[in-house]
Amino acid sequence: MTASTTHVQVAVDPGLASRRARLRADVALAARILATSWPLESFIAVNPLAGLEDRPFTEAVRVAEEAFGARGTLSLDELRAHHGTGRITDSDLRRALLLRFPELAAVTVPVGGTRVPSVDTLLVDLLHAPSLPPPSRSVRTVAEAVPSVAAAVDSQTTKWCAAYLDEGQAGWAMPGNQRGLYAAWRALAHRDRSVPGRVRRELAELPERADDALLAALDRLRIGPDEQRAQLRAELARLPGWAAHVRWRGENGAGVDLLSYLALRMTYAALLLPPGGARHQARSVVGQERSTSGRARFVADRLAAGPPTPEQMSALAAVLDRLPEHERPLVWLEAFEGHYRDELLTRLTGRLLPTSGDRQRPAAQLVTCIDVRSEGLRRQLEAVGPYETLGFAGFFAVAISFTDLAGGAPSALCPVLLKPRNEVKERPVPDGRDTAVRRLSGLRVLAGAEEGFHNAKDAAAGPFALAEAAGWLAGPVAAAKTVLAGPYGRARRGLQRSVVPPATTEVTAMDGFSPDERAQVAEVMLTMMGLTSGFARLVVLCGHGSTTENNPHGSSLDCGACGGSRGGPNARTATALLNDAAVRHCLADVGIEVPADTWFLAGEHDTATDRVRLLDRHLVPASHHGELDGLARDLERAGTALAAERCAVLPGARRSRSARGAARHVQARSTDWAQTYPEWGLAGNAAFVVGPRSMTVGLDLGRRVFLHSYEAAVDRDGAALETILTAPLVVGQWISAQYYFSSVDPQHFGAGSKTIHNVVGGIGVLSGQDGDLQLGLPWQSVGVGEQLVHEPVRLLAVVQAPLERIDAIVARNPVLQRLFGGSWMALAAREHDDDPWQRHTPHGWQPWSRPEGTA
Amino acid sequence: MSRDGLTRMTKIEVVVSGQDAAAVRELISAVGATGYTGLSGVSGLGHDGYRQGRLLFNSQATLEMLITVVSDDKVDALLAGLRPLLAETSGVLFVSETYVSRPEYFM
Repeated sequence: MTASTTHVQVAVDPGLASRRARLRADVALAARILATSWPLESFIAVNPLAGLEDRPFTEAVRVAEEAFGARGTLSLDELRAHHGTGRITDSDLRRALLLRFPELAAVTVPVGGTRVPSVDTLLVDLLHAPSLPPPSRSVRTVAEAVPSVAAAVDSQTTKWCAAYLDEGQAGWAMPGNQRGLYAAWRALAHRDRSVPGRVRRELAELPERADDALLAALDRLRIGPDEQRAQLRAELARLPGWAAHVRWRGENGAGVDLLSYLALRMTYAALLLPPGGARHQARSVVGQERSTSGRARFVADRLAAGPPTPEQMSALAAVLDRLPEHERPLVWLEAFEGHYRDELLTRLTGRLLPTSGDRQRPAAQLVTCIDVRSEGLRRQLEAVGPYETLGFAGFFAVAISFTDLAGGAPSALCPVLLKPRNEVKERPVPDGRDTAVRRLSGLRVLAGAEEGFHNAKDAAAGPFALAEAAGWLAGPVAAAKTVLAGPYGRARRGLQRSVVPPATTEVTAMDGFSPDERAQVAEVMLTMMGLTSGFARLVVLCGHGSTTENNPHGSSLDCGACGGSRGGPNARTATALLNDAAVRHCLADVGIEVPADTWFLAGEHDTATDRVRLLDRHLVPASHHGELDGLARDLERAGTALAAERCAVLPGARRSRSARGAARHVQARSTDWAQTYPEWGLAGNAAFVVGPRSMTVGLDLGRRVFLHSYEAAVDRDGAALETILTAPLVVGQWISAQYYFSSVDPQHFGAGSKTIHNVVGGIGVLSGQDGDLQLGLPWQSVGVGEQLVHEPVRLLAVVQAPLERIDAIVARNPVLQRLFGGSWMALAAREHDDDPWQRHTPHGWQPWSRPEGTA
Repeated sequence: MSRDGLTRMTKIEVVVSGQDAAAVRELISAVGATGYTGLSGVSGLGHDGYRQGRLLFNSQATLEMLITVVSDDKVDALLAGLRPLLAETSGVLFVSETYVSRPEYFM
């Protein structure tokens, strides 16, 4: 070292500093088992096991089984029930086995007096062998040695977290909450009479720092460095909903982190446990598996081919050994998925693309969100008239922070993969100031009435006076809302319209984007969806949202690409950019000639009512009013047909309704405060198609497929495909995984039944009065009664693009390597519409077609 | 090169995925480092092949580089936290000596 100056300072105990840092790292690593959580108002579908995505699906599922005691697949009994109905066939199972064990294709094993194909021996095992018991947590917290202490620790955690994290629902804020969870709790905990005096005295002596408190608790519980991380993980797994929410709030500046949360929990455990509390022993599923020879005996008996010799038993056991018992549900899952995927790809085969000479200018083009619900709307509109439809992520490439006419806090309207990049506001058009004043005045009246009602309801004596003053009205209103949901909804909308009339407004897109950004957004959007020529006179960018009542999970039905909000503002912003003359000029410079008579118009599809509202109609030039009226009529016809289609599967909707009756029914349903099934959301989602609409047009895909438009020919450098695969497809996989895990284990990964939900402080729901925050989707998003409606399958990406281009994109993006390589989703691709489908595998592309030896 | 008048310190550079960057930033702050520099959308070639830089609509999936400079007494603590973190995730760590003209900025 040739340094000149040595800086001297007071040293901190290096051992303690290192212990603190190691502890922090262990907390971060332990937290990988937690799902990401957002508050209810911006519910975003996520993979509950996202923190484990760097491992293969099989391994991540195993970790979750051990950490939470949660199932990562349907149970063997549930999967076998699908075999009973023909949803999974022997052929599907054979194929799944051969894809796993291709080396077994021509191998037979001697059993008794005959030889049996080895795949058939595995098939017998899959179909008939006894199931394993459900998984259970293999590492438990120290407090769980004494159930009453474990319950007390959970109860204290829930109490203090709910008080600290409340988002304004409670009448009183937690004293000292501005100093952070640990400091606020430390100041109050020793005054809490719900714990014994001995514990209170110790709580009064807690160290100033949360990490020191956690280290002290670990010492007191005699948890050494080697088992520290596993114990921290067990603590987080005990109430994973609260822990996940704490992490999210911490990342968003709420003065709380998992270290404080764990300090609180483990301090209670250390102080409440009697000295020398015994540890729980791990109970591993692997340990419960039968010996392979036992399985071989079972299979041999089942084949009834005569008594096998010891050599035959060994050969049979060697085959069965390839498939451990706990992996059998995964083969079933692959068969379940394979059945759907084979059918889908067969339907997408042999469809000839129209040549450019065949194309007539369409009556209009409708660009919807990629959301699976848009598939129904697109199909129905195309059936009504000569319309073209396309798919693009519903934020339409504008990641905005949006403030509506009423002001208030802006909303982040973009995928959570991004931070808003541009600020956009809603403002009255120059001659619309009067309408804006009337609307704002009406909003103030409504807000004042609502605040007064809630204040009276929440005050100590207010409810009595409120009941006296308004009870005579509230009762009949509640009865009308319940029994006459449709007429009540219409009456309320009429009243609302008279109090809060619509205003004539526009969005400040030009102020929010620099000239360069405007042109870039326009070019990126049009290139990504391959719409660079053949523009209609009207092109509608159609966002979406869902109108529901009394639904804490309402935002889960809105647009995920818009951060769990309605997508109208994004559509309005993007169309404003695309109609700008300077932007059109820049587009022409890069070879995208938008005809002068093309007008971009915003719309919003209400997925609960199937109505499409065309927005900013006052901005449409008079020359386009004829087409606009015709399009509005056809969208209504398409929406009516879609309502009839959806009513066939909505619980409680009568099957014999006319299309118009169905349209009225879904309208009433959306305003029914007691309706737990306003719509099915994205239930059924199973595939994500990236390619031209000609691949799928005319096919009824049952609202199960995300559709992203893409034309490989206009994406010369592959940048558009890279963006599609690394953003919309990733979000599609989150949604798919959320539905998957909420279905395979609703108790651990779902949010339970809506009927017993209690909203806690605006941050989440509890099932009943206490316990853990319920993070996933409610049962009513995936099932009815005892019956699962959503089919839990992993997402299949179907891409039409040059295979080398896909390979290059996957090779430079670890996120795609993890998702495809780890079997979190599958990938099928072809370059041209007449090429056979190829399967992406770790060993390169393989023909999708069935392996030899299967039917 | 003359280092007269400069103070020797330790520079720690970490390249991790965007998802893990928050844990690294937290560690840096927790050991008492006074600051760091973050570079998002880092691209490059490593033993796992080429890694893409900035993505248009996904700011979480790319690599992030975090650089901090600390006095010697904080190095062991920071490494005690970083090493287990990096043992469980893909990423790289560089530790080197560096020289600064205003040591009080880093203490």
